[in-house]
Amino acid sequence: MAARALLLASLVLSCFLLPACYGTVLFSSLQRTLEVTASPTSGQVLKGGVDKITVTWGLNQTVAAGTDSTYKTIKVKLCYAPISQVDRGWRKTVDNLKKDRTCQHKIVARPYNPANSTAQSHEWTVERDVPTATYFVRAYAYDADEKEVAYGQTTDAHKTTNLFQVQAISGRHVTMDTCSICFSVFSVVSLFGFFYNEKRRAKRPQ
Amino acid sequence: MEIKGKATEKESQSPKFTLPVDSEHKATEFRLLSVAAPHMRAFHLSWVSFFACFVSTFAAPPLLPIIRDNLNLTATDIGNAGIASVSGAAFARIALGTACDLFGPRLASASLILLTAPAVYFTSIASSPTSFLLVRFFTGFSLATFVSTQFWMSSMFSARVVGTANGAAAGWGNLGGGATQLIMPLVFGLIRDIGALKFTAWRIAFFIPALFQTLSAFAVLIFGKDLPDGNFRPLQKAGAKPKDKLSNVFYHGITNYRGWILALTYGYCFGVELTVDNIIAEYFYDRFDLKLHTAGIIAASFGLANIVSRPAGGLISDAVAKRFGMRGRLWALWIVQTLGGVFCIILGRVESLGASILVMIVFSFFCQAACGLTFGVVPFVSRRSLGLISGMTGGGGNLGAVLTQLIFFKGSKYSKERGITLMGVMIICCTFPICFVYFPQWGGMFCGPSSKTVATEEEYYLSEWNTEEKEKGLHQGSLKFADNSRSERGGRADSETRPADETPSAYV
Repeated sequence: MAARALLLASLVLSCFLLPACYGTVLFSSLQRTLEVTASPTSGQVLKGGVDKITVTWGLNQTVAAGTDSTYKTIKVKLCYAPISQVDRGWRKTVDNLKKDRTCQHKIVARPYNPANSTAQSHEWTVERDVPTATYFVRAYAYDADEKEVAYGQTTDAHKTTNLFQVQAISGRHVTMDTCSICFSVFSVVSLFGFFYNEKRRAKRPQ
Repeated sequence: MEIKGKATEKESQSPKFTLPVDSEHKATEFRLLSVAAPHMRAFHLSWVSFFACFVSTFAAPPLLPIIRDNLNLTATDIGNAGIASVSGAAFARIALGTACDLFGPRLASASLILLTAPAVYFTSIASSPTSFLLVRFFTGFSLATFVSTQFWMSSMFSARVVGTANGAAAGWGNLGGGATQLIMPLVFGLIRDIGALKFTAWRIAFFIPALFQTLSAFAVLIFGKDLPDGNFRPLQKAGAKPKDKLSNVFYHGITNYRGWILALTYGYCFGVELTVDNIIAEYFYDRFDLKLHTAGIIAASFGLANIVSRPAGGLISDAVAKRFGMRGRLWALWIVQTLGGVFCIILGRVESLGASILVMIVFSFFCQAACGLTFGVVPFVSRRSLGLISGMTGGGGNLGAVLTQLIFFKGSKYSKERGITLMGVMIICCTFPICFVYFPQWGGMFCGPSSKTVATEEEYYLSEWNTEEKEKGLHQGSLKFADNSRSERGGRADSETRPADETPSAYV
C-alpha cells in the first residue's frame, strides 16, 4: 500500500519535474538570489574594444542558507535592454530560456563554491563584435546538469534602470575606403575607355 | 570557363557559322558545351555576367545576421533594404530593354554592369541603415541585365530553341541568387579565420562579388557580338540593320496588352523567386535556430535549383510547342505557375525543418520553371519592340517582388510563415490572367486561332510597321521572323511553309 502510494507520488511529482528534466527552464521560475553589480554608470557609453567593465557577483546575503547548494557555475552575460530589442526579433525575450535571445554575449563563467560566500569579480574588455546597443548585466547560476537555477542582474525587474550603452567599432578601415573608391572609379572610367575605343574602331576604314 | 581565340567568321556576304542557322542567321540548335562564336559564346557571356549581377544583388541577405548588428538595423530597415534591392531594376529593366532595341545588348548590358559595380564596392563602406538601403538599391539596378540576356538570346537563337536558350541563360544567371548564399558566408568565414574581426570581414567579403561583376562586363565587351552578323553600330553604318526610333519602339511595346499580362504573371514567379532569395536565409536561421553557415546552405538550394529548373521550363515550353504550338506554351505556363503557388502555401504551413527543406525545393522547381516558360512566350509577343516587351515583363517581375515584400514581409506584421502562405495564394490569383493572352494566328488557352484568312504570322508582326516604313524596307527583319515563327502553330503546321535552309533541331 505504502509502496503504491510512493509510486503514485513519484509519478505525480515527476510530471512537475519533467519540464526541467527535458530542458525547458522558464525564466519566470528562477529566483533572483544573486547580487550583481557592474562598473558602468547609468547612461554611460562604452567603446567597443577599448573600455572595460568590472562585474561583481555573489549570493544575496538575505536569502535562506542552503539556497545555493545546487549552484555549480555562474555565467555572467551582457544582455540587451528593451529599447534595443524593439523591431529586432532576433533579440527577443522569451520565457523559455532555450529560446530566449536577450543575453547573447558572454562576459565570464566561473565555478561556484557554496562554502566560499565572498563576492567574485572580473574585469572584461568590451569585445569588438559587441554591437551598438543599450545593455545591462545578468548572471545565471547553473546546477550540475547545466540548467539555470537562479539569476541576478544589474537592473530592476522591468529592465529600465541602470542601463548603459556600447558604441561598437565600425569595422571600416582607411585602406578599405580607398580601395572601394579606386575600384569604383576604375569601373566607370574603363567603360568610357571602351566606348572611345569602339568609336575609334568604327571610324577606321573597313 | 575559358574563352580563347578570336571570332573566325568574317562580316562578309555569307559568313560561316559553326552551328546550323536559319534565314536570320539565328542558330537552330542549342549546344550547351560549345563556346563557338557568335551564338554559344553570346550564351556563355550573357549567363555569366547575369550570374555576377545576381551574386552582387543578393550578397547581403546571407550575411544579414552580422550586418544587422554592425549597422544597428531593425527588422523594418532590413525589409526596406530588401524592397529597395529589387525595386530599382523594375524600371531599369524597361530602360535597358529599350536600350537593347537601340544600341544592342552588348553595350547596353556592359554599361549597366560597370555603372552599378561602384554600388557593390561602396557596400563595404556602408555605415548606417540609410547607406545600407542606398547601396542595396543601386546594386539592384544590375538585375536589369536579365533583359539584355533574353534579348541577346532571342537575337541569336531561332524560334525552335529560343525557349531553351532563354531559360538556360536566365536560369544559370539566377543561380547567382543561390550561389551567393553559399559563397558569401564561406568567404566571410575565410576572411574571419585569417584574423579579421566579424565587422570587418563581411566588408572585405563584398569585394569578391564586386570584382567578379567588373570582370564579367569586360568579357562581354571584348568577346561578345550583338547579332550573328556583327555588332549594332557597324551593321547600322553598313545599312544592314536599320536604326529604329525610340518613340516607335516604345509605342508598339506598351500598346501590346500581352506584354502587360506577362508582366503581371512574371511578377508572381520571378518576383516570388526574388522575394524568397531575400527572406529565406533569415527565415531558416531564426525559425529553426540554425548556424549562419547552415541557413546559408539551405537558402542556397532554393536558388541553386535554377541550374535545372529554369532551363527545364524553357525546354518544356519548346517541347509542348512542337506538338501544340503557342497554345501549348500558354497552358504549360499556367499549370506550372499555379502549382508553384500551391507548394508555396504548403511551405508556409509545414512545421519541421526536414519537411520545410523538401517543400522548398519542390516549390523552387515549379516557381523557376514558370519563369523559363514565360520567356518561351515573350519572344513572340513583338518583333519590333522585343527589347521593350522583355523589359516590361522583366520589370513586372521586380515589381512583383517589391509588392510582395511590402505587403507580407515588411516589419513585424505577419510572421514569415504566414507571409509565405499568403504569398502562395497571391501567386495563384495573379497567374489566372494568362487565360486572356490570345494570338490571332495561333490562339490562346481557351480559343483556337482566328478563322479569318488574314490571321497569319506576317499580319501580326507587320502590323507593327506602317506603310511608309514598309516602303523603306524597315520591316524586313520582322518578315523573316514571321516566317520562322510558323512553327508556333504546332504539329499541324504545313511542311511546305518550312524554309528550306532550316535543319531539324536537336536537343542537348
